[in-house]
Amino acid sequence: MTQITLSKRINELLVLAVLDSGPAHGYQIALSVEERTAGAFSFQHGTLYPILHRLEAEGRVSGEWHGRGRRRKTYEMTDAGRAELAAGAAELEKQFRALLGLLRGTHAA
Amino acid sequence: MPREHPLARVEREVKLAPRQRLDLVEEVGADVRAMQTEMERRGCSPVEARREAIQRLVPTGEAVEQLEDRHAPGLGRWLRADGRWLHGDGRGDRVAGLGIGAAAVLGGAVGIIAIVRPGLSGAAMVLSWALVIVFALLVANLARAAAQLWLHGDLRVRQRRRLWDRHAGLIVTAVALGALGAAWEGYLVLTNTEQVASSALLAWETAGTMAYFAATGLATAIFGLFGWLSISPRLIADQEVERRITEFFAQDRAKLTLSTSASSTHESKGEP
Repeated sequence: MTQITLSKRINELLVLAVLDSGPAHGYQIALSVEERTAGAFSFQHGTLYPILHRLEAEGRVSGEWHGRGRRRKTYEMTDAGRAELAAGAAELEKQFRALLGLLRGTHAA
Repeated sequence: MPREHPLARVEREVKLAPRQRLDLVEEVGADVRAMQTEMERRGCSPVEARREAIQRLVPTGEAVEQLEDRHAPGLGRWLRADGRWLHGDGRGDRVAGLGIGAAAVLGGAVGIIAIVRPGLSGAAMVLSWALVIVFALLVANLARAAAQLWLHGDLRVRQRRRLWDRHAGLIVTAVALGALGAAWEGYLVLTNTEQVASSALLAWETAGTMAYFAATGLATAIFGLFGWLSISPRLIADQEVERRITEFFAQDRAKLTLSTSASSTHESKGEP
């Protein structure tokens, strides 16, 4: 399994992409990222939470507590998050196309 | 002996206000439990499932630092940003403490000199300056507590007790110095019977000096007391949240112990 060091930007987009399917708890986001990327991306050592909290503070996701006593937190994407995901995906696609083009060109040479 | 809760170390080490610490341990704790259940459902043994969940979700190192940066109080976050002086080894705190202490000594000295009564004996002057030092230490103590609460957001129980013990000691010292100064001035006059007999005015002045000492000592003590009372609402609120954090770990430790013994039974039987 290839583990890729994730940039802050990619991490955020991964979280937003999972939340695009619907509200989820933190652990569901972590598992979903692993499953949907076939293990290429994963969150380890609690790195998911600073990302979630940052996205929440910036209004791109909203967090809501449920339950009394034993509380659980659920995250949901906001409209700002959806816009961010669309823009970020387009931007990443452009960057990766350029990167792959360069790498393939290098290999070809 | 029950194992330590995997989040206990994080809760102990992370520099966040109690409210943020409670939210963090509750959120991560619930996720760890849910992920463990999910991993067991997928065929992992309980021990393996718990290890996987902890490895993925319990914050360590960089994640803890990022959470501290994210949830620091507004002013503290600004000071931490871009390597400003509060970040890192606490040198900024020490410099600020020295600055506040020096300013308090200067302010106290100016105050004492402004209201100082002429004709104080040498010992009385020493006691006056001792009161200045006590006043400065009270200011420094309060500044330290306030900085922990509103810049770092985190004043732990041990540190809180230490600061309060010191504060209470300084308050008692201020009262004692005031009383001692008053008693000393009275003693000096009373032992000089010739002076007492010769002048009613002198007796009046002596009473004034004694009152000055008692009032200065009491004023310093009252300042210290009200200073601490001013931060008390926040301390009480923090204590309530810390009680909930303790409850969280007590409840989860019971579950963890059960889970651990269940896992051991499964393993000894060779069950998944």
